[in-house]
Amino acid sequence: MDYLVEAFRDSIQLIFSLDREIYGIVGRSLCFSLTATFLAALVGVPIGFLVATKRFRGRSGLLMVMNTLMALPTVVVGLLAYGFFSRQAPLGFLDLLFSPSAVIIGEFFLSLPIIANLTVSAVQAVDPRAILTAKTLGAGSSMTAWTILMEARFSLLAAIIAGFGRAVSEVGSAMMLGGNIRFYTRTMTTAIALETSKGEFGFGLALGFFLLLVVFSINILFHFLQVRGRSS
Amino acid sequence: MNEIGEVAQLELRNVTHRYNGKMVLDIPHLSIERGRIYGMVGPNGSGKTTLLSIMNLLIRPTTGQIFFEGNPIQYEDSSRLELRRSMAMTFQSPYLFRTSVEGNIAYGLRARGVPKRNRVLIIEDALQQAGLRGLGKRRARELSGGETQLVAIARALVIDPRILFLDEPTANVDARHIDQLEEVISGINRDRGTTIVLSTHNLSQAYKLAHHVFPLFEGRLAPSSMHNLFGGTIKASPDGPYFDTGKIRIWIPQEFSTSASNHLSVNPEDIIVSKEPFASSARNRYEGTITEVVDRGGRVDLVVNVGETFRVQITNHSFRRLELNVSARIYVTFKATSVHLL
Repeated sequence: MDYLVEAFRDSIQLIFSLDREIYGIVGRSLCFSLTATFLAALVGVPIGFLVATKRFRGRSGLLMVMNTLMALPTVVVGLLAYGFFSRQAPLGFLDLLFSPSAVIIGEFFLSLPIIANLTVSAVQAVDPRAILTAKTLGAGSSMTAWTILMEARFSLLAAIIAGFGRAVSEVGSAMMLGGNIRFYTRTMTTAIALETSKGEFGFGLALGFFLLLVVFSINILFHFLQVRGRSS
Repeated sequence: MNEIGEVAQLELRNVTHRYNGKMVLDIPHLSIERGRIYGMVGPNGSGKTTLLSIMNLLIRPTTGQIFFEGNPIQYEDSSRLELRRSMAMTFQSPYLFRTSVEGNIAYGLRARGVPKRNRVLIIEDALQQAGLRGLGKRRARELSGGETQLVAIARALVIDPRILFLDEPTANVDARHIDQLEEVISGINRDRGTTIVLSTHNLSQAYKLAHHVFPLFEGRLAPSSMHNLFGGTIKASPDGPYFDTGKIRIWIPQEFSTSASNHLSVNPEDIIVSKEPFASSARNRYEGTITEVVDRGGRVDLVVNVGETFRVQITNHSFRRLELNVSARIYVTFKATSVHLL
């Protein structure tokens, strides 16, 4: 028990002493995850929109694959990307392995299915009269599409936040693709794993607090958006 | 073309529409003239919304041709969007976008690329005409049913459509707003000359607002001369079959006794008006009060309450000769064979 209390005290001390390494790790983690989420939203929202609004052969199969990918283990993403980015691999010449870009790519593939799937649900939940109304008011196809996305904006934001949650809390692919290099690719989750294995429980706990704070903030934002979406 | 040689603003020729293989609309011909108000009446499920959607080019009919100002509509052509932009439609329960009232009204203007600085005055004008002044900044989703319908009309109005389609505009509206809506609809036609086609199941509203009323039953237009439409059931009696509207009995020909129809109409021109009981073989005779007199140029429309409301059409000469006026007691008489089952 003393051990835990001591670790807790150390972690609080590290947080309030504005430890450069801890805040560097937190900043880096957020930067990687936000970049990955932004890119995943750029790709995932249009994919989700098209799947939700278009009827084409193989659509239900695609939906099933997208659903399955939501539960994609992070180490599998790490493993597959590693297979592409290692020196002898097809994309080895890009020299991405153990770089921030590789971590971002891994997190991109983890949040993409979540954002795309939740976009499908968000768009399908839009009242069909919205499309009809847009058309009767003379909207072309691109304005109609934009209108649908705007009508679903609170649900779409929630989808993007869920994607961010997945990216920021994953450890497997960041470890495999980033290599957990100090001051370079080390993120909150990989640092926690490392510091705990080294016996630096206080350091790990301090980072754990930050991670919890991020996740808690995400949940508050989620809740706020859901309430806002319902009330409007 | 109409009788004075003008090209109809919108014309439907041999238009049919099938839904899941079932014929839901069959319109051999329908012509909409510029600057008029048309009232389409019919019960729920009669195809009113489908017909409006076809006229608004939202739905492509299964067969047939639509002409806009004399030119056939080409559905594959990109010009269809431009044509659709010259019309507007509001729905029975309008959808307002998740934004302010102003944001909703501005939508059609944004679709047409109207610059923001020009929108302000147009929106203000539309809010005024729709009786919504001061509500521009309100959240659209917080409005009442009547206000929602008014916003939908204002939203359609700002794009200055050549034809405005209104699907049951007062169906979900509280009594307080119905008069306001009707005034707004008449005002749009009067002030802007906009052609309006509205659907309603309220016959008296159709007569009140429209220059032309046409009934739609089971996807088919009833003959345009049929104006007195009543719902009810056919019943048998020792004196022969009759149609029970719940308020009056209308005698019908024997051959209609087995019909399953639950709507009936009587041509206003087939109804005889007299100040005394009229001695004839006609079986349908009712005493009632004139509630409205409408001058139609060479003819006069009388609205007579006999328990049900009848619209009767007589010449100016007859009107003067009989010295009729509102609240006068008169008899309306028509033959059982003047009745049309729908």
